[in-house]
Amino acid sequence: MKRLLIILSLVALVACSANNCPLENTVTCNYYFYDREGVAVKYGETFSVTTLLPGYKTVYIYRKLGYTTITTDRPDTTYINAGYAETVSTARRDTLLVNKAKDRTMIQVPMSYFNKADTLVFTYSSISRPDTIIVEHDSYPHVELPECGTHFYHNLRSIRVTDAAIDHAEIVNPLVNNEKKENVKIYLNGVAE
Amino acid sequence: MLSLLLLLSVHSVGAQDEPIVVLNETDTIRPTKYIAPLIEQPKLALFQGFTLSADILGPVIYLLSDYGSTEAALRLNLKNTYFPIVEVGYGKCESTDIETNISYSTSAPFFRAGIDFNILKNKFMDNRLYVGARYGMSSFKFDMSGPAMTDPIWGGSAPYSYHNAKSTSSWMEVVFGVQVKIWRNFHMGWSVRYKQKLHIGHPSYAKTYYIPGYGTTTDTSCWGGTYNLIFDLNWGKKKQNKTPLRPTSIGGKNE
Repeated sequence: MKRLLIILSLVALVACSANNCPLENTVTCNYYFYDREGVAVKYGETFSVTTLLPGYKTVYIYRKLGYTTITTDRPDTTYINAGYAETVSTARRDTLLVNKAKDRTMIQVPMSYFNKADTLVFTYSSISRPDTIIVEHDSYPHVELPECGTHFYHNLRSIRVTDAAIDHAEIVNPLVNNEKKENVKIYLNGVAE
Repeated sequence: MLSLLLLLSVHSVGAQDEPIVVLNETDTIRPTKYIAPLIEQPKLALFQGFTLSADILGPVIYLLSDYGSTEAALRLNLKNTYFPIVEVGYGKCESTDIETNISYSTSAPFFRAGIDFNILKNKFMDNRLYVGARYGMSSFKFDMSGPAMTDPIWGGSAPYSYHNAKSTSSWMEVVFGVQVKIWRNFHMGWSVRYKQKLHIGHPSYAKTYYIPGYGTTTDTSCWGGTYNLIFDLNWGKKKQNKTPLRPTSIGGKNE
């Protein structure tokens, strides 16, 4: 009987188990920064990331000889009063995903549910040209458990980048889910000191 | 006259009939040998019949919750010690989470096979205390649906609704149970089961929430139980469970 009690106690100990709902509730594609040689770096440049959305919007462009061209979503009379020439045009809709990040080793960027490709535009504080990253992916809904809610998971298919500040990019883990694994390596121009 | 007076008196003490020997102090003690009553170990025939049982706890659980099952078992009795068993049942689940409004439904048969071991010392008792193990599996289809999914950044919306998603799942169980005789061949008993998933098949868009015969997959393992109505089928059982007793012998046989 004593042996039986020991066996039952062991079974009860093993029975302690965890809930299967993921700890992280958001699904993001995780981009990590490396130098050209593949050494992980903390990117010191201040940068922002916007993504292009479906559809177009009206933009107001202000130009003046010898000055930087300014583009805004709303008309601004102060520029006209300052001697700028206003041009009304259309541009792809966009939204800000990462705002003025600095000293980052990685960024987490959400992915679209229903588009075949996401376009990310990296703008830098000290580099005049932006970089564009185009990520092609498949998306599918996923329910871990009814109590955990619905999520969209993604499979990365390809990635293309421009070369203003980025040397090249590489997909290291194509499955984008809420496990927060590294998905893409971004190799920046230059070598870390 | 004898120089040594040997007074030997044998009395009957209780039912044991043990001899009492009274000797003078000057007597030398001669060795004696006590032969214990010999009882031949009873023999149990290998085949002791079949046992049919039905679980009544599963249907009660289904009435009180979103899921449950009903099952029956056929168990072979070998020497009242080893009980190879086959369990067949039908599990059903219709659940909707209150917070996420995601619904899951399935109903399908399941199958288990394994063996129980009677751990009572007296194998002739009609009551049994057993431990055992099972391998379970179920191949089933399930439906899952929920609110439409809307992309908060890029926009767009799509319903979440899937039907007849296929899954084949398997698991192991460790069983501890009790069975007591109620009347003649009719027994009642209960079992407690610790279940551990082995393989859970599921499509990419949903994980299996309920497996017939296993239960919910909320945790990596789970507990279950049955309350059984049991009927011993003794047909085919050989009547060899005799306990022939050899006459008790008491001996003072001198060497």
